[in-house]
Parts: sequence; structure tokens; C-alpha cells
Amino acid sequence: MTIIFEDVHFAYDGIYTALRGVSLQIDDGESVAIMGTNGAGKTTLIKHLNGLLRPSQGRVILDGMNIREKSVAELSRIIGLVWQDPDHQLFLDSVEKEILFGLKNLGFSPEESEERCVTTLEKLGISHLAKRRPFSLSGGERKRVALASILATEPRILALDEPTIGQDARQKKRLAKMLREMNDEGRTVIVVTHDIEFAVENFPRAIAMANGQIVADGPTPVVLSNETVLDMCSLTPPQMTIAARELHSIIPSIPERLTHVTELEREILRAIGGES
Amino acid sequence: MSFLEIFKYTRQDSVIHRLDPRTKLLLSTVLGIISLLFLEIIPLLLIILFLLPLLGAAKSLGRWAKNIKGLAMLVLFIMVFNTLFSTDPTPFSRSVSLALRLLAMMTSFSFFFLTVHPDELSQALIKMHVKYEFALAVSMAMRYVPTLGQDAYAIMDAQKSRGVELDKGNLIKRIRNIVPIIVPLIVVAIRRALSISESMESRGFGASGGRTYMDMIQFRRKDWVIVTISLVGLILVLLLKFWWGLPSWMLWQLPF
Repeated sequence: MTIIFEDVHFAYDGIYTALRGVSLQIDDGESVAIMGTNGAGKTTLIKHLNGLLRPSQGRVILDGMNIREKSVAELSRIIGLVWQDPDHQLFLDSVEKEILFGLKNLGFSPEESEERCVTTLEKLGISHLAKRRPFSLSGGERKRVALASILATEPRILALDEPTIGQDARQKKRLAKMLREMNDEGRTVIVVTHDIEFAVENFPRAIAMANGQIVADGPTPVVLSNETVLDMCSLTPPQMTIAARELHSIIPSIPERLTHVTELEREILRAIGGES
Repeated sequence: MSFLEIFKYTRQDSVIHRLDPRTKLLLSTVLGIISLLFLEIIPLLLIILFLLPLLGAAKSLGRWAKNIKGLAMLVLFIMVFNTLFSTDPTPFSRSVSLALRLLAMMTSFSFFFLTVHPDELSQALIKMHVKYEFALAVSMAMRYVPTLGQDAYAIMDAQKSRGVELDKGNLIKRIRNIVPIIVPLIVVAIRRALSISESMESRGFGASGGRTYMDMIQFRRKDWVIVTISLVGLILVLLLKFWWGLPSWMLWQLPF
């Protein structure tokens, strides 16, 4: 299921321009991080994936088909969107029911729904919350419930808006692992995030946005070690890049543009004459 | 629900915007009362015709006209139901006047809300000896209406992405579909209210009794003039309605 944006423009209420000519292609099974300043158009972009917003100019093509004719409900079978604020979707009196709700809407049988609900809760490590009221949970837990409600539908394409906000390190790791598993199963994973370390560690491709346009699109280490791009998107470079730069000024043989711990380790070992 | 926009303040610089909020409150209330007094087509039309230049002076006529279109469905609904179920000898005429009355009432108050900033409203209430806490509650309620609207849209988006089809199905299904929207909306509103009150208290709200204000509202001569005209107008209309009786051309009805 290839996603193609062809010169997509969008303005809220016809005046507040949010996207000005976005073109991109995300292939089946890719894993992409979308980064950028607040108000760069990231959320607007992913709202175009399932037709919540329709381009005022340009086209969104899914699997070779313009999605203009498809309803949001139809597209939601293929594309799961997980929102930033879980409170915008939780409304039932138990976590379990909350997860079954989406499955029922999309037409899964009760038995299958039940089974998916159990496995999803397990995957996210929240089985113990199944009978709890979502409103009595902590912010981070609610966020995971909202995530579970979408994951349970096992969409071909999964898009998440700021999934790491309010999650501790362990939850972040668990989330990353789960997203990787989803990706290994051949699903496309798209994440909107400000969390640069999260992007560098888990997403091979990064798209940087500023002012409603794409300013860079490529391998995450390349995009996120480019000074101009980082500046335009008001991001700080990944810690490993900062470390590499510092080391580079002392030992010029260590390259500046490194993003991963393993890379830096290898370079340091080589520089000091150890095993590589 | 776009017609709610006619109750949203718009920043403008106009004669009307510069009036004291109390003057506008009185004028709007007088016009609202007059609209309630009549169920005849001609007087209601006259009220609306009187309001239009006022909105024009407030540079808000275009905005009003644009958003009033959102009322079309409601007006249609009122007309159809009243025409069908009214026991009046001229049901259509009556339903037209009911629709006009709604329009006149909404326009009267939209005149107030379009031109009075929430802060001015609370100032006006304080000057009218309403306790500060209540005045603040009122102006905050007004302030958060658009925010709640944004929440409603975000919630609709979230539920649509879970396969809720808001604009499909029969009436019962559509009513049931409101639940996934309304419950999160209430929860979000309550959570926000709690966090606002916490942040207000942590900034010392209510710590000292005597408050001073940055901006003070003040009655000027033109305010007195308008207040006088409004009150005299109201008395004349009351006399016309209950003492002198309406001239026959004002009682004109549609024939069916």
C-alpha cells in the first residue's frame, strides 16, 4: 500500500494555510518519522491519510487510487491513526470495551474482537487494566489504552501523533519495540514526533517539515545531522551527533555526522587503535 | 453549528465597539424583549430592519449574514413543523412569524456578543455590583466556548478514525453516535476546568480582597443618549402594544 502525496495544499477555513505543496511517497512497509516545528503541518499531513482532511489542491493516492472517493470509515480499515490526546477518544466505562468499540465499528466478529483485544493488551503490557475505567487511569496509561484501541484493528498503515509524550523510558522502549514488530510484519509505520532520540533509534527514514513544506526527506542520520534542517525545524541534534562533533574537534579522524551509539563506539575504538 | 459564530466576539474598531458594554446590554435586551412581544410579521421585520444598520455600524454585517445561513436548517425545521401541527387558522403565516421572531432574537443578542469582549462583559457585571467571582465565571464561560468547539472537532476526528460514521444511518443510530462525542467532550471540559482552577489558585486568585483593574469602563454622552433612546423606545412599544393597539397594517398576515 504505497502512499503518494502529489503537490498537496491545504488551508483551514480556506485561509489559514497549513500545507503548501507537499509531495512525498511512502512505500509499503516503510518506517518513517515526520519531524518539524509546532505548526509545521505535521498533524495536518497525517489527517490527510484517512480523509479527515481533504486537499484543497493536489492528490493523495493510496495503492494507486485517489482517496477522494473513499470515506473516513473505509480508510480507517487500512489506516490507523493514533492521536496525541487520548481523552479525545475514550468514552466507555472499561478499557476492554474501549478496544472492542473500534473493532465492532470496523465489522470484526465478536470472537475475533475478543481475541485481538486480549493480545493487544498483553503486547502493550496493560492486561491488568482491562476491567478498569479509562478515566481513572493515569495520563500515560490512558495514552496506551488509546494506542491499543487502534493497534487492535491491525491496520496496514499505522500513523501516530506524538506517541512518546508523557511516557517514561521503559514505556518508550516498549512502544518502540512494538512499532518495530508491526513494521516487521510488513506494516507501514509513520510517526509524528519531536523526540529526536526516539526518531534516530527507531526510524530509518525521516521527513522534516517547516512552514507547511517538506524541507528534507531521507535517511534519518543524514536528515538529523544536517545543521540547516535542524535549525529550520528547531530541533537539537541527537546526543550522539553532539558527542561526535566534540570528539571530531579533538580527533579529526572521527566523523562529525554520527547518530548511533554503535557507530560512535566503533569510531572511537578505531581512533584509539582498538578492535573495530 | 456555524451559526454559533454570530455569538463570538470579533475585534473591530467601530462606533458600536467603543460603546460601553452596559449600553449594548441594555439595547440588546430591549430589542430582545420587543421581539418577544410580537408575533406579527410586519413588526418583526421592522425589528430586523432596525438591527441591520446597527450591525453595519459595527462592521459585522457580512459576518452575521455569512453565519446566519447556518440557521437555515433550524428555520426550515420550525417552519415545517409549525405549518403541519399548528392549530392556528393561518399556520403558514404563524410559522413565518415564529421563524422571524427567532431570527430577531438571535440577531439582537448576536449584536451584543459580536461587539463585547468577554473582559468587557465581566467589567460591566462588576459595575452592576455582581460579585467578581461570578463575573469572572461568566466571562470565562464565554472565553471557552470556541475552545470547546475545537475540542469537539478534535473528538469527532478521533472517533471518525475509529470507524464511527457520524453522518450515516437512521435517526436512532445518529443519536447513539452522539455518545462517543459528548462523553469525551464533557470529560475534557471537566479536566480543563480543574486544571484552570488549580493554576488560578497557584497564581494567588482570591488571595487579596480589594481588586484594582487595568481597564475601567465608563459611560459617555453617547451612551446616555442611546440608553435614553432605548428606554423611551421600549416604553413607546409597550404603549403601542398594550394601550394604543397596533395599527391595522401591522397586523397583516399571510392568507394561509
